[in-house]
Amino acid sequence: MTTKRVLLLIGIASAVLLIVGFVIGAVGSKMFGLEKPFVSQPGIHLPPDPVFPAAVRQDVVGYRVAEKKDEAKEDQGASAGEDEHKEEHHGLGLMQFAVTNTMLSAWLTSIIMLVFFIGGARNPKVIPSRLQALIEMLFELVLNFASSILGPEMGRRAFPVVATIFFFVLFNAWIAIFLIPIYQAVGYGANVGGEFKLATHLVRPAGTDLNMPLALALVSFVFVEYWGFRAHSFGYLKKFFAFGDILRGRPSGLINVFVGLLELVSELVRIVSFTFRLFGNMTAGEILVVMITFLVPFVATQFVFGLELLVGLIQSVIFAGLTLVFLSVAVSHEEH
Amino acid sequence: MVELGLNVPSLISYLINYIILLVLLGALAYRPLLNALDNRVESIRESLAAADRAREEAATSRSAIEEELNEARREGQRLLDQAREAAERFREEEMDRARQSAEEFAERARADITRERDAAINEVRAAFGDLAITAAERIIRRTVDRQAHQELIDQVLAEGEQALRRN
Repeated sequence: MTTKRVLLLIGIASAVLLIVGFVIGAVGSKMFGLEKPFVSQPGIHLPPDPVFPAAVRQDVVGYRVAEKKDEAKEDQGASAGEDEHKEEHHGLGLMQFAVTNTMLSAWLTSIIMLVFFIGGARNPKVIPSRLQALIEMLFELVLNFASSILGPEMGRRAFPVVATIFFFVLFNAWIAIFLIPIYQAVGYGANVGGEFKLATHLVRPAGTDLNMPLALALVSFVFVEYWGFRAHSFGYLKKFFAFGDILRGRPSGLINVFVGLLELVSELVRIVSFTFRLFGNMTAGEILVVMITFLVPFVATQFVFGLELLVGLIQSVIFAGLTLVFLSVAVSHEEH
Repeated sequence: MVELGLNVPSLISYLINYIILLVLLGALAYRPLLNALDNRVESIRESLAAADRAREEAATSRSAIEEELNEARREGQRLLDQAREAAERFREEEMDRARQSAEEFAERARADITRERDAAINEVRAAFGDLAITAAERIIRRTVDRQAHQELIDQVLAEGEQALRRN
């Protein structure tokens, strides 16, 4: 069978699946008066779901099941009281410990990363194996990226921290796409209105958990400030607390004080911007995937997966790149 | 923020997760592989320099070999010329020697012949003298002074010999 014929068959099958997906999806089922869509309506929960211990999970899942039952009743009858549940929150408390599904995903990603990188980089050969060559290429990409911003010496020093951030963000985003069946279908079920449904996923992309980007943002922040102090010692603080001119009795020093405080605020705001940029992109991507799966299942989601691969790559480049740029500014001697 | 999922234990867990990743990857992946890359760069640089050196050495030794070959060729030619000259000289010497020995042989033969002829002439002369004396004695039938006759005969014979040689 020629390649052309295979491609043609794949094209026809995709077109058929697209039409079928449209018909049995949420949009089609409404249009054609079907009983219910092929994929049930997804519930969007920003906080990650606890998986272990079981008591905490059951607590959250039990609440959600009850919430769904209420929604079902509301659909049947009056829509009064709709806002009550939306405003109410039921999840982990600020200090409450539980192993969440995003945490499991991060661990899975970490194990895959360790196996992949250590497996390929252990006992490196002069003539590399294919895996070693691939990892060398990835490392050189990041190293060249770091060196182009910081110079060869500083780029080499910053490489481990920046490369770990880059690969962790990238692998977290991509593994969730490559292992989509595990991410979307494996979890804990519950009986909702006489029907057994997936109530919570076992794993969920770690990027959709606010704590993961926040942790990376803190790492980036601490790393940048550490190198800032190392490069300029306590003189680094003059950038933020520029009281020199005021103490010398120059009124124009007020501007410097104001600029310094702005610098301080912007330094702290970076943590927030880092966090919400990654969290927002990853969460939006995940929501897009589940919504498209709900609306038009099967083929249409493939385009979203492609988009998500690109978004994951862009986010990892942005996170690593901004860390490098902030580091470059922090260690630069020109501004002091 | 809690509504968005902010949770301190999770945050700490991610931080620990990152630090473990950083430490393990740093020790077991980044360092060995970057060192290997550095070593490879160094070894490639050395190999290129060695290749350049080898190329230069090859060019130098090639010209040296060509020079040696030319020298050997010249030497061979010179030896050949010398051998040819020696052979020619030897041939000429041998020819001279052969010619000389042939001449010597001819000279010796000529001397032998002359000596033999002289001896024969002397013998003939002696016999002829005796014969002449005897004949004269018989003719004149008288004894004359033998000594005077002998001198007379020798003189006649010498004149006769000179006449023979002139012929």
